[in-house]
Amino acid sequence: MRAYSLNQRTPPASPALRMTPGRVKCVLLVLGVLFLALIGRAVYLQVVQQDFLLNQGEARFRRALVLEANRGVITDRNGEPLALSSPVQTIWASPADMEPVPPAKLRELARLLEMSPADIAAKLSDRKREFVYLKRQISPELAERVVGLGIPGIAKQQEYRRFYPAGEVTAHLIGFTGVDGKGQEGVELAREKMLAGKNGRRVVLKDRRGHIIEDVAAIESPKNGQTLTLSIDHRIQYLAYRELKAAVEENKAKAGSVIVLDGRSGEVLAMANVPSYNPNNRKELDLERRRNRAVIDQFEPGSTMKPFPVAMAIEARKVTPHTWMDTRPYMIGPATVRDTHSQPSMDVTTIIQKSSNVGASKMALMFPPETMWQFYDAVGFGRGPQSGFPGEASGRLRNWKSWRPIEQATMSFGYGVSVSLLQLARAYTIFTDDGQLLPVSFTRLNGAMPGKQLIRPETARQMREMMMTVTQAGGTATRAQVLGFNVAGKSGTARKLVNGSYAANKHVGLFVGLAPATRPRLIVAVMVDEPTGGSYYGGTVAGPAFANIMAGSLRILGVEPDAPSNNTLLPVSDMPEVREET
Amino acid sequence: MMVNSARRYSPITALDEALAWAIALLLSISLVMVYSASIAYAEADAGTHNRYFYLMRHVLFMAVGLGVAYGVFQFPTAFWQKNAGRVFLIGLVLLILVLIPGIGKVVNGSRRWISLVVFNLQPSEIMKFATVIYAADYTVRKSHKLHSLKEGFAPMFMAMVAVAFLLLREPDFGALMVVMTIAMGILFLGGINLRIFSGLAVMAVTAVVLLIVLSPYRLKRVLGFMDPWDDPYGKGYQLSHSLIAFGRGEWFGVGLGASVEKLFYLPEAHTDFIMAVIAEEFGFAGICLIVGLYAWLVRRAFHIGMEARKLERYYPSLLAQGVGIWLGIQVFFNIGVNMGLLPTKGLTLPLMSFGGSAMVMNLAAVALLLRVDWENRRIMRGYKV
Repeated sequence: MRAYSLNQRTPPASPALRMTPGRVKCVLLVLGVLFLALIGRAVYLQVVQQDFLLNQGEARFRRALVLEANRGVITDRNGEPLALSSPVQTIWASPADMEPVPPAKLRELARLLEMSPADIAAKLSDRKREFVYLKRQISPELAERVVGLGIPGIAKQQEYRRFYPAGEVTAHLIGFTGVDGKGQEGVELAREKMLAGKNGRRVVLKDRRGHIIEDVAAIESPKNGQTLTLSIDHRIQYLAYRELKAAVEENKAKAGSVIVLDGRSGEVLAMANVPSYNPNNRKELDLERRRNRAVIDQFEPGSTMKPFPVAMAIEARKVTPHTWMDTRPYMIGPATVRDTHSQPSMDVTTIIQKSSNVGASKMALMFPPETMWQFYDAVGFGRGPQSGFPGEASGRLRNWKSWRPIEQATMSFGYGVSVSLLQLARAYTIFTDDGQLLPVSFTRLNGAMPGKQLIRPETARQMREMMMTVTQAGGTATRAQVLGFNVAGKSGTARKLVNGSYAANKHVGLFVGLAPATRPRLIVAVMVDEPTGGSYYGGTVAGPAFANIMAGSLRILGVEPDAPSNNTLLPVSDMPEVREET
Repeated sequence: MMVNSARRYSPITALDEALAWAIALLLSISLVMVYSASIAYAEADAGTHNRYFYLMRHVLFMAVGLGVAYGVFQFPTAFWQKNAGRVFLIGLVLLILVLIPGIGKVVNGSRRWISLVVFNLQPSEIMKFATVIYAADYTVRKSHKLHSLKEGFAPMFMAMVAVAFLLLREPDFGALMVVMTIAMGILFLGGINLRIFSGLAVMAVTAVVLLIVLSPYRLKRVLGFMDPWDDPYGKGYQLSHSLIAFGRGEWFGVGLGASVEKLFYLPEAHTDFIMAVIAEEFGFAGICLIVGLYAWLVRRAFHIGMEARKLERYYPSLLAQGVGIWLGIQVFFNIGVNMGLLPTKGLTLPLMSFGGSAMVMNLAAVALLLRVDWENRRIMRGYKV
């Protein structure tokens, strides 16, 4: 009080004069401007920058969670699972949210995950990252123990792992899925859409510690994949694979394939290839093992082609099974068509039984190229079999306009035309009861699909009768006999094309046959690629495997024998090998 | 006439009711918002595991603060004027004490707190209060010398340099800015020579720039403020999240309790960055309400000061206006920091943020304001103070 109340003597110094209202207004004005600046800034943030800020916010809090759909089960025709998804856990870490892990805990973690502590430390070293996989696809029990260590920032996440109970037996057929869960090969790839289902989606806001705060959009629940029922019979599949593998090993072959078709419906009952792989553990998987040869590889079918020109000739009534033909070697231009075991004449049945090139080519040459092309084209050579299988080969059948006569002749015994084993097996469906070409199917059908009538039922019956002689005494494939059943079939031995010319020592041994021949139920086609164990003739290398597969399959399906009295097999070992023309 | 007679019978010792209600409103909002902003941290913290942890302490501080305010209100302004030097000295001693290791407690690299077992005392908050008391007294006492550089200005300048030196040792740059603004504002209102004032302002700005450039820690904060989106996960982390909170608020906010930023994204959500949470939950409307309340409060403080001035009560006048400058500038600094107008400082929002010393001293300051007004009313009605 002393300062202002008594000092009257120097009026200019009075606070009353110095403390002017102007200065108060000035300070108030400054503060007012500052407060208005705050409001202005708020408007700027909420009008001009709003979209940007909202986006930045969403980038930080908003997370789209995938609700994984369970992939559909693949079963055989009887419901036996061939591919299923089992829940597994993946361990991940968010280094950004972690404190340094005590060494003891790190060692314990490393022991559980079977990793080295140094590896784990390296994965956790980038402290800016918010997501690092530590170990994928481990068992739920192990994951529980890892999370139980209570290390902050380490969490588990459910995933599904595809498991294939039949392993290498169905490897090429089923294929497999990649780490992303998508089909990579086989049916898994072909039917991806149906199996995958549709992942669900949940859009949420998360707090910084990863807790879900709320859903900001309607939850789309996942739609699980559908169960896919294949036409395969897993018992026949196992049998076919086992016998094929034995045949490939016995003949020291490079590879082999087998297809078992239901001759009445066109369904594929088995399809196997050797070498195969274990789809559950694909660590060392080379392309050679991965190839589904039965569908993808194409080869020249050799003598297994001969029934087609013969059927064409019979269908056109140009010959009967008993028509005698001159089978001496003959010239087409500069080239000679000959048989190794030449006979002056044979009837049509014997031409099939002995696999005569001369006889088959003479029947082919009874037709103009266009007619023959139309028939080959009709049975599906040169076009994809529409099996729906990824990468299926369509084979090669050149346009008839460019055929020279010698080419038409060689095409009758399976050179100059290439097919896949699936195409070949399917073509043989015309020799079943009614002479229809059936579509093939890898999925179970509730009845035969409509076929395409190519030959009369009578022609088909005559063809089967002729082809039965192939497995009988004097035929090229006596080893393809089946106890209690008549087997109609045709062996084939084709030289392989290597760099455009036929190799002398590389062959494909084939046997395609139907049984019971009187009322066909099954078609089995066996291919043995590059046998090196002595014989390379189709009847010898593929015949026994065919016989075992056919016999077993007929038994599995409970097919009644059509030759119950035929209870002894011809002693093949004593007999000279009847070699077909190559 | 009924109206006039009604006024006559109103209690002559009445408080400024509107001011008291405005403060009560701010405190109520503070309770709700501190709880809202701290609930996630409180619940998740392994040490507390109690969602009411911060709220309970906040209520306690507020209660202590109201008690202190009641006490402050009991003293006539003349008491503060008489003891201004002592109050300032206590402030200085506390600022020295806090720098002594063992007494001063270090949090986040700054030695700003004196641990009193149940409660951490923040001397810089007391210094703000002391500066108002002292600067007002000084200005009135030296009013006849305020045109002189040597006699009028130099003593105050030396005192402020001492305060600045101590605050920078903590360091507490934000408190320094507030203290300087209060001191210069009161000197200006008290009629300091404009040439001296301008020179002082230039010097102050130069000093601030130098302090920023010469300190890597402050430079980092300033750089983070210049473009928070340049390094939003490093230097600009806090500010970018605060800005996102403002953006998310839109016109009317996401609703009470619905802030996402407070869920561990925005550090210091319940203390320095409580305005960001208010902005997110109540939007532009909430910002306008809060800023408006403070603006009204500041304007009221200056009005009380001018009324005192009319009554030739110069010291209470400067006291009230000093409180107005304090609240006004600190509100501007805090909200400006939240909005990215100013670099991060570490200042609370007066009467709103969680923080014991700040709450108590802010309540003490508004008690001064109410006391000045109360005295004005009594004098106008012819009573003795």
